[in-house]
Amino acid sequence: MVIDDEEVVLDSCRDILAGGNYHIVTAKDGTLGLKLVQESQPDIVFVDLKMPGISGFEVLGRICAFDPTIVTIVITGYATVGSAVEAMKKGAYDFLPKPFTPDQLRLITRRGLEKRNLVLETIALRREKEMLRENFAAIVSHEMKAPLSALQQNLFALIAELSAILTEGQKSRLERMKCRIDELLKLIHTWLRVVSVDIEKIKESFKPISVSTSVSKAVESVETQATRKDVEVLTSVKEPLGLVRGDEGTLVEALVNLVGNAVKFSRVGSQVVVRVEEKEGNVFISVTDTGVGISKEDLPFIFGDFYVGKSGQETRGSGLGLAITRRIVEAHNGSISVESEQGKGSTFVVRLPVLKNDVHNQPALDIEACSSSQKGGT
Amino acid sequence: MSQQKTIMIIDDDPDFVEGLKSILVAAKYGVDAAYNPKDGFQALQAKHYDLLLLDIMMGRGAEGIMLARKLNKDPKLREIPVLIITGLREQMAFLFPGQAVHPHFMPVDELVEKPVDPKLLLDKVSELLRRAEARKGEVK
Repeated sequence: MVIDDEEVVLDSCRDILAGGNYHIVTAKDGTLGLKLVQESQPDIVFVDLKMPGISGFEVLGRICAFDPTIVTIVITGYATVGSAVEAMKKGAYDFLPKPFTPDQLRLITRRGLEKRNLVLETIALRREKEMLRENFAAIVSHEMKAPLSALQQNLFALIAELSAILTEGQKSRLERMKCRIDELLKLIHTWLRVVSVDIEKIKESFKPISVSTSVSKAVESVETQATRKDVEVLTSVKEPLGLVRGDEGTLVEALVNLVGNAVKFSRVGSQVVVRVEEKEGNVFISVTDTGVGISKEDLPFIFGDFYVGKSGQETRGSGLGLAITRRIVEAHNGSISVESEQGKGSTFVVRLPVLKNDVHNQPALDIEACSSSQKGGT
Repeated sequence: MSQQKTIMIIDDDPDFVEGLKSILVAAKYGVDAAYNPKDGFQALQAKHYDLLLLDIMMGRGAEGIMLARKLNKDPKLREIPVLIITGLREQMAFLFPGQAVHPHFMPVDELVEKPVDPKLLLDKVSELLRRAEARKGEVK
């Protein structure tokens, strides 16, 4: 569509673009142009900046408000940088100085259409991704988990029913089957969390929480794993610590991933150190191990989805733990970083902003903090 | 000794039902099953059951929830204790953000996740039967 008060411009635009596969609509002022925009939903609108009646800038603004995917291009007789910039601010994609050559118009039209297609495609893809994410939970949980559950349930029953008849070897094979199905079910759970559960949702249940409580809960739940591997987990909390806004459940989950990883990649008999301190309005939680470390080529990717590391060793896992951890930390307006040297160990640092005004919520939290603080550090 | 307790299972996965059933039968419960909410509702109306094991995701969606709501409106059927068995915990938490994971649908209900460990299943079943019994005493 072309909106311009000069008949000549409208006619020449028609002529120039007539050869291409375009449907062209013209309007001689802004009011009529806006009406036609709503009726014909054009891909591109050329707008003259200087017209009687409502101004070109006004028209640009209204088109953008009506449908931001419509590509607008300004035609201007006074092609100063100033007016072009002003038009771009109003959402114009480009500008065409008067007088223009046929080639200029054709080129800008083609580029404008390309832009419009890209915008539409992006929107479609985003929508598709969103749908996939939304439907994924339902599909995966029912279609994949249901058969596994049925399998597992019957295995449970069989193990109980046949316990008198089976040999030890047979029993242990059935137990292994049970374990393998369990692992698969857990993997599906993790998957679901990454792909379908909108981590931003946890923000709805944010409240002031104590980081040291979360840390000790996380350390506690990794304890068995650490003991089995003869790895000592040391916690050092530098008080006083401000509260942070967050969701304790998921924050603990993130920390369990970090401490769990540290233990997993530690050498037998070594130590994992968890330090918590407040610095410049942030609480820093660092988890240091002296284990296998991460190679330089793996390092940039470890927070991505499904990344399990190339550099060998028996790294087993879904490749999702750190990705989930990063998402949780970011949902808490924090950040996560890592330093590592292959063969020497790694240090992961989580930064969480301290809650500015933590006076009011203190009492309710104290109870919670007390109940688990005795179990703290090892 | 009290007479044998009877349990109704409503779940659209017959294989899963078999797995549950054999655990319950081995524990001397009488067990019937229906494979969709409609048959299940009819069965519950036709005969007295001491407990209902209910699946959530059946058919086109959370039909188990709809059935629970329907039962809850029936003055007689709402007294039946319900053990909700679902592979859906994440989604439940997702559907009801900020709430406890288990949204109570019925006066006496519990929620366990699929697959359910035999011991946990039997514990929950007897606990629910006990709670329903206690409630009956109170109501009368």
